[in-house]
Amino acid sequence: MDLLDRVARREEPALKLLYDQTAARLYGLALRIVGNREWAEDVLQESFLGIWRNAGAYRASLSPPLAWMGLLVRSRALDFLRRRRAERLHLQVAIDDLAEIDALTQEQMAPGPQQGAEASEQAAALHQCLQRLEQAQRQVVSLAYLRDLSHSELASTLKLPLGTVKTWMRRSLEQLRKCMARHV
Amino acid sequence: MHLTRNPELLDRLAAAYALGTLRGGARRRFEQLARDHAQVRAAALLWQGRWSAFSEVQTPVQPDAAVWTRIANLVQADQQQAQWRAQRGAAAAAPQVGKLGQALSWWRGLALAGSLATVVAVSVGLWTHHGLQQSTQQQLSALRTELQTTQAALQAAPQIQYVAVLADGKADASMLVTFDPRHNQLVLQRVSGFREAESKSLQLWALPPQGAPRSLGVVGEGRVAQLAVQETDVKAVPTLAISLEPKGGVPSATGPTGPVLFTGALIRRDL
Repeated sequence: MDLLDRVARREEPALKLLYDQTAARLYGLALRIVGNREWAEDVLQESFLGIWRNAGAYRASLSPPLAWMGLLVRSRALDFLRRRRAERLHLQVAIDDLAEIDALTQEQMAPGPQQGAEASEQAAALHQCLQRLEQAQRQVVSLAYLRDLSHSELASTLKLPLGTVKTWMRRSLEQLRKCMARHV
Repeated sequence: MHLTRNPELLDRLAAAYALGTLRGGARRRFEQLARDHAQVRAAALLWQGRWSAFSEVQTPVQPDAAVWTRIANLVQADQQQAQWRAQRGAAAAAPQVGKLGQALSWWRGLALAGSLATVVAVSVGLWTHHGLQQSTQQQLSALRTELQTTQAALQAAPQIQYVAVLADGKADASMLVTFDPRHNQLVLQRVSGFREAESKSLQLWALPPQGAPRSLGVVGEGRVAQLAVQETDVKAVPTLAISLEPKGGVPSATGPTGPVLFTGALIRRDL
């Protein structure tokens, strides 16, 4: 996507185009991580400002464009959660909204990522492999990565016994590992 | 058994490491091995790349349209800040012609950049190299809303012809300025909790495109302050600024002696 190169050259219209193409996907990601619409909007806003300021660094990262932006959004979203946690304000809200957000993103694997120019081959592979997992197992792996949660944090977030989380995680990882290996 | 001779185990650990679920001592041991063995580093990198695709496979959700508006405003402010910096850099590179000359060229640069401002030019972060803070942004967007409301009110009450938002890059300082030429009255409204010290006063300056800044008066301590100002004083002025001065302010000819706290473009509404 040369849009990022154009953004690196400080072309504002390119930023708008990039936003139009990717905002929904990145907002979906932010929402999944922070679990609250308003916060996800803040994260999206910060992320696009970050993209605007750091688009030049994208080439050096050797990542596919959307993956690069996704990493940026994830890291901003995690920072956001850390700040909230430090302020001790988030817990109740986050849990209140978790159910809603999960319902909203429940079908995450059903429609499949649009295999347009912007989605990477990695994404296609991961998508295919995730589809072979049970919904609950998918959820565990997904949350572990997106929210950077440990086994015990996952257990308390999902209100599951630690043993269950560990078993699901082990099985999911094994399946994903074998499946992803086939995609090279 | 050495990890590098057990590809299956290496792959499993690398996957868990990159996913983030390998924690504690196991994580540290893996990191140590990664430092020592390129093969381990490669496995970790491979999985980091694979997992990064998680960010691409989430269900898209359309964000509120206001988000783009906020981003566009921030980008505008960013662009403007870059212009300021470029101009100040250029001014610094120019041969020194004494303190006064330097100060004047700086003020001209400020005024010039003000005139380049597009819609409501909110100049931010002149005096700070810190990034724009979230709270400032919230304040600014609240201010913009207020400004829009004011502008809507302008149409209903057309005696107000000029309006400006004065802002800085810090967290808690902003002012809304309106000018009513019919009554020759400039109204300053404090929108944040900023309060100057007992021994200080805020002084409002007009920064004309040419020449030295002119004092428009000392701002009272209340939330809303009014200054008697002739329209000719503000007519061709692209930018207003507020400086922190000794109690009671300084004479106009002296120019600002303290730091400039807030600046902003003065927008004329053509009726």
